[in-house]
Amino acid sequence: MRAAALLLLAVLAWPAHAAWTWSETLTVNSVQGAAIFPHIESANRQGVAVSGYTVGVVWEDNRDGSPQCYLATKPAAAASFQPEMQLSKGECYEPVVIALGAGRFVAAWEEGGKVHARVLPGGKTLQLSKAGSAQVTLALRDHALYAAWAEQAGRFKRIVVARLVLKGDALSVKSAQPVEAAMPADEQGWPALAVAGDGSVTVVWEDRRHRHTVPMTSHSRDGKSFALPARLTDRKSGSVDGLGAGTGAMRPTLTAWGEQGIAAVWLDKRDFLSGYDVYAAFDPGTRSFGRNIKVQDNFGDNMAQWHALVVGDASGKLVALWDDARDGTPDVWLSEWAGEAFGDDLAVPAAAGPGGQSDPVATLDAAGTLHVVWLDRDEAAGTRIRYARAVRR
Amino acid sequence: MIIKMMLSAACLLWAGTVLADPPKGYPFVDFDAGLKAAKASGKPIFVYFGRYGCAWCDHTNKQTFSDAGLKKLYSEHYALVYVDAESGKRLTLPSGERITEAELGARLQAFATPLFVYMTPQGEKIFQAPGFKTVKDFQDYDRYVRGGHYKQKTLLEFLGGKS
Repeated sequence: MRAAALLLLAVLAWPAHAAWTWSETLTVNSVQGAAIFPHIESANRQGVAVSGYTVGVVWEDNRDGSPQCYLATKPAAAASFQPEMQLSKGECYEPVVIALGAGRFVAAWEEGGKVHARVLPGGKTLQLSKAGSAQVTLALRDHALYAAWAEQAGRFKRIVVARLVLKGDALSVKSAQPVEAAMPADEQGWPALAVAGDGSVTVVWEDRRHRHTVPMTSHSRDGKSFALPARLTDRKSGSVDGLGAGTGAMRPTLTAWGEQGIAAVWLDKRDFLSGYDVYAAFDPGTRSFGRNIKVQDNFGDNMAQWHALVVGDASGKLVALWDDARDGTPDVWLSEWAGEAFGDDLAVPAAAGPGGQSDPVATLDAAGTLHVVWLDRDEAAGTRIRYARAVRR
Repeated sequence: MIIKMMLSAACLLWAGTVLADPPKGYPFVDFDAGLKAAKASGKPIFVYFGRYGCAWCDHTNKQTFSDAGLKKLYSEHYALVYVDAESGKRLTLPSGERITEAELGARLQAFATPLFVYMTPQGEKIFQAPGFKTVKDFQDYDRYVRGGHYKQKTLLEFLGGKS
């Protein structure tokens, strides 16, 4: 009877597990230890990119006694990552990386309280902003390269979007302007950028002007002049019986998707008793986001989700990833858009099971292969940054 | 000069009330300052893990933390720390790891705010309690923590055993 039940469960689970075929799992960081703490958090969670046949991963760790940012690369078919190179000299946080093609990348990070960018390999570091700035992110389509960050403007930070120019290995800032000309009324941060098929630029960010954190969005046809910000969420702000200002939400992420579309995913606490849930919204090309859709399935409903992101490609593939501890310890989960809704939650096989596996970052390469990087925590041996890729069957 | 100083003080006061929502009149500080103060004083740490605009935090502030006796009890005997659940502000854990205030929520598996975390003066977690709490709850928690009962009993055992 028990065997029959297990067989039935296996049969039922088969289509989900068969959806992706996973590669061998590799360790990215060459230096680990109980007192070394790698982090792959960043604005729009852009910690991995695939440029031609080269995979690049960025992170921050404190192996030298202070937080520094690193990049490790490997040929796609190689069985190991090459030793990492250090990107920063001063205290560095929240690095991101995007692919330029042909094995070249642009990385950006916060160092010494200001945001910087650099073409790799080669290239010199460019300071993107004179003012205090943080939480930098990048987006590229064809030859249009953009950066966004949170920049100090009076008492608060606000979102700035810049058009970058690339000549050879040299980067420069062609233009940089705040999404809104007015000084911010409260804190803004954690921007995410995407360039759609029509060349328009969409930016989302955390915004506290409504006295609680609301993901906001704006778009620009030319990358210079931005529309008035709109709410990404379909929840209104407001107090309950005179208490508070609204439910929480944080860390919006974006991806270009399909021919003209943009997809957003963020953490949302509208159901305030079960922690953050993963929510999504779509802009099919109208440059406005529609109704919000819950991403995770019902098995994740009574559990807090963390570190959510979305990746998409021009063919219409769209995958959301996050971590949650529904099975007792943090595991990395993914869900693929199925046309009308997100599909069943699937654990990333090598990022599930005993121990803590969390903080996913991911990208889809030109062939539609999904590349996922996450943290595998071990208090005694130290945290490993792990990598695996998956092909959709 | 006096007007300038008053304006500066007013700005600082306003900044303190808009960036986060700790209860008024309590000497809450950020995580790093609280850990440093606790190590120096030997006082346990009380972490108020709140969220900007959180209705239940607001409710707890008005209904519970407004109590003068509770304010005196916790202000005198704890290193009071306020953490903003969605903030990117950085803090340093006792292990030496630097994370954001929001990431602390992930590490604590926080599913609701407010979340109250009691720690030893060295920053080791004793227990955490989510949601609205009464003055009586906080008085019980204080007896559990400062009485050292957590070394022998779980909080439920301690609360179940009291009369």
